[in-house]
Amino acid sequence: MAFSDKVKELEYISWKCRRNVLRMVEAGGHGHLGGALSAIDIVTALYFGKMAGKPDDPQWEQRDRFILSAGHKCMCQYAVLAERGYFPKDILDTYGSLKSPIPGHPDMHKLPGIEANTGALGHGLAIAAGMALAMKCNKQQSRVYTVMGDGELAEGSNWEAAAAAAHHQLGNLVLFLDNNGLQISGKVEDIMNFMPAGERFAAFGWRVMEIDGNNMQEIMCALDDIPTGGTQPVIIVAHTVKGKGISFLENKAFCHFWSPSKEELGRAIAEVEKRIEEMRTELEVRA
Amino acid sequence: MIGEKMDPRKTFGAAVTEIAESREDIVILSADSGGSSGFKEFARNHPDRYFEFGIMEQGVTGIAAGLAAMGKTPVFCAIAPFVTCRNFEMFRNDCGYMHQNVKIVGRNGGFTYSDLGATHHSLEDFAIIRMIPGVVILAPQTPGEIRAAAKAMLDYEGPVYMRIGNPPMEELWEEKEFEIGKGSILREGTDLAIITTGTSTANVLCAADLLAEKGISAMVVGMPTVSPADEALILHAAKKTGKILTVEEHYIGGGLGSIVAEVCGRYCPVPVKMHGVKKEYAISGPYDELLKYYSLDAQGIAREAEKFLTEG
Ligand SMILES: Cc1ncc(C[n+]2csc(CCOP(=O)(O)OP(=O)(O)O)c2C)c(N)n1
Ligand SMILES: [Mg+2]
Repeated sequence: MAFSDKVKELEYISWKCRRNVLRMVEAGGHGHLGGALSAIDIVTALYFGKMAGKPDDPQWEQRDRFILSAGHKCMCQYAVLAERGYFPKDILDTYGSLKSPIPGHPDMHKLPGIEANTGALGHGLAIAAGMALAMKCNKQQSRVYTVMGDGELAEGSNWEAAAAAAHHQLGNLVLFLDNNGLQISGKVEDIMNFMPAGERFAAFGWRVMEIDGNNMQEIMCALDDIPTGGTQPVIIVAHTVKGKGISFLENKAFCHFWSPSKEELGRAIAEVEKRIEEMRTELEVRA
Repeated sequence: MIGEKMDPRKTFGAAVTEIAESREDIVILSADSGGSSGFKEFARNHPDRYFEFGIMEQGVTGIAAGLAAMGKTPVFCAIAPFVTCRNFEMFRNDCGYMHQNVKIVGRNGGFTYSDLGATHHSLEDFAIIRMIPGVVILAPQTPGEIRAAAKAMLDYEGPVYMRIGNPPMEELWEEKEFEIGKGSILREGTDLAIITTGTSTANVLCAADLLAEKGISAMVVGMPTVSPADEALILHAAKKTGKILTVEEHYIGGGLGSIVAEVCGRYCPVPVKMHGVKKEYAISGPYDELLKYYSLDAQGIAREAEKFLTEG
């Protein structure tokens, strides 16, 4: 497939995944929507365009690992895993219900494809670094990818992991910073500024890339630009929009945790479905 | 007003805000958590005494100790596991060991953040924090008691951990002064005593009604101070009823139940049945359904009490 076709296909999938996210909100009545939608293009690109993995054999040893450090974004991972065939989509309808395998933060013992029990912020990068270190010991070719929120940067544990990853030359570790500029209480720069994050990571010895994290082409180009066998951990500072894809939520702090009225949810679903339909037609025309 | 249900977080924030109007030493610390802890108005009115740090609970706990060492009275409220587990060593060394006048408040305590999963539950906070010498642990049982406990906490000199919940809480009695270290008999009874705290008290009182319908007379003892324990009251309940059931939204071991058993074991050995959440990573789901699943709703508590009386 030509690169541009692949990008179009991935975009289409990301919208179907957005629809899956709304299906969960419909079931549970609420959810951490904003951060799920800012990261969903990245997570789609990883699972559908980059990572080695087998939905029918989620424990396959040679798989690349994905760690969602910002566990509250889990709806985007559930959406993508379901779309990729890791579990039946009707599980999405259990969101928020008793004993659901897709709780408000991911649990590796409940759902195939989840690699770590995140939810408390600031744990994922260290776990990912541990996995990357083990891969290096085992001379494994696989990689570890992780997604972190920009508000999450304030947890000191991240900086311990950042130092360790560079020190141990974990070139097989890739961190996406979901730089949507917002956290619960407002703008990240007003709450606790960590910008320019790229420069801070560079000072720690990381290789830094900056992209538009809601642009599939840029995400794929960045991923394709990481050599195997490198010695520097990589951070991709992904400039994103919180609530991306639902016009009336984009860039709004309140969509961090969204409890929509029926009408609002309907409007969001209609918007996403319209886009899916447009993209489907576009893909048919191209074919 | 009795019977009214109120948001515990807003109640807490408003109470502290009111007290802080005449207490310049009080400073509010936030780890991206202040707005959800009822401090929006305080932040607006007192930007010089409201400090936002972002999501760094360990750092904030140390900073609180430093502020306290300089004569400030810091209040730091956030999601319970992140101000007890996450920052435990800072709590122990900087607040406990240094005996600083820091007030740490865990909101959404127990499993009141029910559907967010085990990372957001705090079912061990009483257990771990009571291992830090010199820290007072409070778990108010009604909105009025949250207000009164906030005042007592701020009047007290020394480190305090207070746990509050999340779902609307019922006003069960007229607000009264809060005395740290003192519990109270909420209902007299003779067949057994149910000792409880925090968010469980309302359901225990309902359970006592259910038991009464079956002819069982249950004493209900409320313990809004978890530590230091009101030993005299525990012993009074033990002597009067000879059987104690403890009920808490906490792991069965380590919390109020263990405290009661320790006191009874030493001074008045009577059967003590500890009821709470069994030691597992609690399931997630709607709060009411979780209470039911773990038999912490009124029916479940009544069932536990009956079983205790019949089967021991
Ligand atoms: C240790 C810890 N502290 C606090 C929280 C509560 N919390 C959940 S999400 C969030 C804000 C996260 O902001 P950011 O990392 O920017 O995520 P995004 O904007 O992508 O949603 C906070 C404070 C948590 N989950 N873990
Ligand atoms: Mg953010």
